[in-house]
Amino acid sequence: MDVTQFQQHLFAKGIESGCSNMEIYYEQVRSTTVRVSKGEIDAYTIKESGGLSFRGEFASKMGYAYSEQIDERVIDYLIEEARNNAEVMESEENDELFAGSASYPELTTYSERLTHVAPQALIDAALEMESVAVEADSRIAMVRSSSVTISESEVLIANTRGLDCRAKYSSAVGSISVVARDAADTTTGEWYDFSLQDFDEINFADIARKSAHEAVSKLNADTIASDNYPVIFRNDAASTLLNAYTTIFSAEAVDKDFSRLKGKLGEQVAGSNITIVDDPLMPHVPAQCAFDAEGHATRRNEIIKEGKLLTFLHNGKTAKKSGIDSTGHASKGGYRGKIGIAPHNLYVEPGTVTLEEMIADTGRGLMIVQLQGLHAGTNAVSGEFSLSCIGFLIEAGKVKRPVNQVTVSGNLFNVLNEIEEVGNDLRFTGKCNSPSLKIKSLTISGA
Amino acid sequence: MLHPALIENMLTAALATGGDFAEVFVEDKTANSLGMIGGIVESALSGRDYGVGIRIINGLFAVYAYTNDCSEDNLIKVATSAAQAIRGQVKDITIDLRRTTIPNRHVIQFNPSDFAKARKIEWMRRAHSAAKDYSPVISQTSITLTDSVQNVCIANSEGLLVEDCRTYTRMGFNAIAEAGATKQSGYLGPGAYAGMEFIETMDIERYAREAARIATTMVNAKYAPSGKLPVIIDNGFGGVIFHEACGHGLEATSVAKKASVFADKLGEQVASPLVTAIDDGTIPNAWGSLNIDDEGAPTQRNVLIENGILKSYLIDKLGGLKMGMASTGSGRRQSYQFAPTSRMNNTFIAAGDSTTEEIIANTEYGLYAKHMGGGSVNTATGEFNFAVNEGYIVRNGKIEEPVKGATLIGKGMETLQKIDMVGDNLDHGQGMCGSLSGSIPVNCGQPMIRVSEMTVGGRKGE
Repeated sequence: MDVTQFQQHLFAKGIESGCSNMEIYYEQVRSTTVRVSKGEIDAYTIKESGGLSFRGEFASKMGYAYSEQIDERVIDYLIEEARNNAEVMESEENDELFAGSASYPELTTYSERLTHVAPQALIDAALEMESVAVEADSRIAMVRSSSVTISESEVLIANTRGLDCRAKYSSAVGSISVVARDAADTTTGEWYDFSLQDFDEINFADIARKSAHEAVSKLNADTIASDNYPVIFRNDAASTLLNAYTTIFSAEAVDKDFSRLKGKLGEQVAGSNITIVDDPLMPHVPAQCAFDAEGHATRRNEIIKEGKLLTFLHNGKTAKKSGIDSTGHASKGGYRGKIGIAPHNLYVEPGTVTLEEMIADTGRGLMIVQLQGLHAGTNAVSGEFSLSCIGFLIEAGKVKRPVNQVTVSGNLFNVLNEIEEVGNDLRFTGKCNSPSLKIKSLTISGA
Repeated sequence: MLHPALIENMLTAALATGGDFAEVFVEDKTANSLGMIGGIVESALSGRDYGVGIRIINGLFAVYAYTNDCSEDNLIKVATSAAQAIRGQVKDITIDLRRTTIPNRHVIQFNPSDFAKARKIEWMRRAHSAAKDYSPVISQTSITLTDSVQNVCIANSEGLLVEDCRTYTRMGFNAIAEAGATKQSGYLGPGAYAGMEFIETMDIERYAREAARIATTMVNAKYAPSGKLPVIIDNGFGGVIFHEACGHGLEATSVAKKASVFADKLGEQVASPLVTAIDDGTIPNAWGSLNIDDEGAPTQRNVLIENGILKSYLIDKLGGLKMGMASTGSGRRQSYQFAPTSRMNNTFIAAGDSTTEEIIANTEYGLYAKHMGGGSVNTATGEFNFAVNEGYIVRNGKIEEPVKGATLIGKGMETLQKIDMVGDNLDHGQGMCGSLSGSIPVNCGQPMIRVSEMTVGGRKGE
């Protein structure tokens, strides 16, 4: 059933049931993935899925329900469940439907051409990555997975107050995971890259060579003595670490007492060399978007400027409570979720030093290139982390040898104040992006 | 759910280009979740997932397609387009679906959807009050109650046609303690393959107070030490150590490609002789149990390691084809949006002979890990990690001061060899396991064990 038609039937039925304010959030995703192994196609996956979230106001309380089946049969279910869910809500502040922003930024998030890439091109690219990786170094023992995905999606948010936001997105991603072996050791290396516009823009051979380099360079790692060391988080590791803590900026987390930044607006919460921005309007980044999950137009927000906390991330509800305009950060995590708060394209503003210069400036320290178990080893409430990591020992300004079987531990709120150098190597790969960061001292546990 | 004649047509269309085997997975799931923060209901969500996955295997190559446009025309179209990825000699396969009825091991008394939300909320309020009243340092609570009923229909070109209904109920208890600028949380999440009777018979206050106790203890704890120490891991969810150090490495996903450190090791000593480990998908009403796996094979009790010797892997259909071995009933997936692969169900280290008192009394200096968080592993290298949510220093055979913030790391086989004491108090804890085929419910279990040496990721000089 066509979603617009479904929407009309749903809203008509809702009005009959005494509900006047209603909204749908509809999402549809299509993708094709090819994975190869040993010169053959190993798996081929075609995805086509979508769903619809309904929310409606019953007795001045908002209730939610969702369905993946979009036809007449679920209309009663959606209204009934939304009503039941509204009934039990006790929160004092209510979600309100938004009529729409005066204007929305014009963004190019969809490439028709990209979605028409022939399946054979995906297969060829995945095979190319595999063979380049195997030939890149004699120590590459196998390719665990070499895959290429093309995907497209569309989002529609429409409500009875007149909101009608639509967007389409597309992307192509190549990713590879390889295993390197020598007489004494086994390591893995992963790399990926993407394009939002043009399949030919992706350098698959380069992805393969980088994954091989990652794996081979980690061979024959050993632990190091437990001690406090200066630590460089390479850009990808720094992004991973910060990504585990983005909820600290959420006005909702602040309001519910889950963030230690509560009461710190206008205060210095990070070193004066740190500026953190969320910019969903930036072109060619994966998290680009013109409106948030409530239909608010998005904009560039400075969250931390030279160490000073300027704003939290808001949705309509938290903004109203604080008496300000929404910052456009309503999130939904797909049609199954409820309205929450999340960054779009958060990043640490880059500095001027290269990673090489950072290493050269370090007498003795550890460069971390990979962090593991972030879902368990980080605590966004306390800020503390203790994480398994892989990296390289630096001695006299030079990379000495690979290091594994160590953990790095500290507290993010302290880390933000102890960043000595900010790299110039910012790369946009997701919702949270950082250049390489050098921290004065963190505890490394090893031997 | 879908008419068998339509499923037969889909399977026929799927095999039209020469596939060896085709499978249809139909899912209709309803889910409810309630969230209460500080005693106030802040979220209530319900929904219905409905979709169909089609898999075609040709040799060792698999095509997977899924959709939730379940009109007859579209389903045939999806089967046909999936078949386009295969170019083979068309085989003479006649599809004759025969409905199989499976014995149900799990008694469900009260379907969660039949229960008024108001009653669920009363339970949550009791949890909030018990946690909040535990201590004045408890500054916030977050209580969740989630339930789901997943109806599945699995059919394949070998004639299998089977349906099952899985009911899950889980309650989350999260308490936050605050002292000065320090905040710490305590969490417990008991769950079962069961209906509302699971919560009706649960000692809600006990779990709530336990979560509050963890937070209260940890808010005053110093940092764990850093370096290599003997580690005592308590029973129950402590079994996450086996899940990460070994369980994932036994999955056909990595063993078939010989990308696991446990590949080609059947019959070899891979762990201390004190270790016997089992993955059992048949335990009545256990969180990780199933009557049949997501390929329609009955689940089993699989002895993985016996007295330190590797006895079995965890195998799904495709993994079995690649390895030349039979399925162990371990093919699982989060939903129709994932092709099934080899996964764990309820994994545990079997009980040994030592009492908990003996284990602690025999430890001169080390870390006692009482409550564990999640972890992860790289199966190719065996390097794993998991978090300790509540820890203590053991000194001269006695449990002493609490310590916080420690992740434990090790390498799979090395750590298994270093298990030098196994207790007699086997218990299980519940978790969600994320991997290739999505996030699925699993139990991790063990009695108290001691590892002679692990790297503890604490802080220096604190």
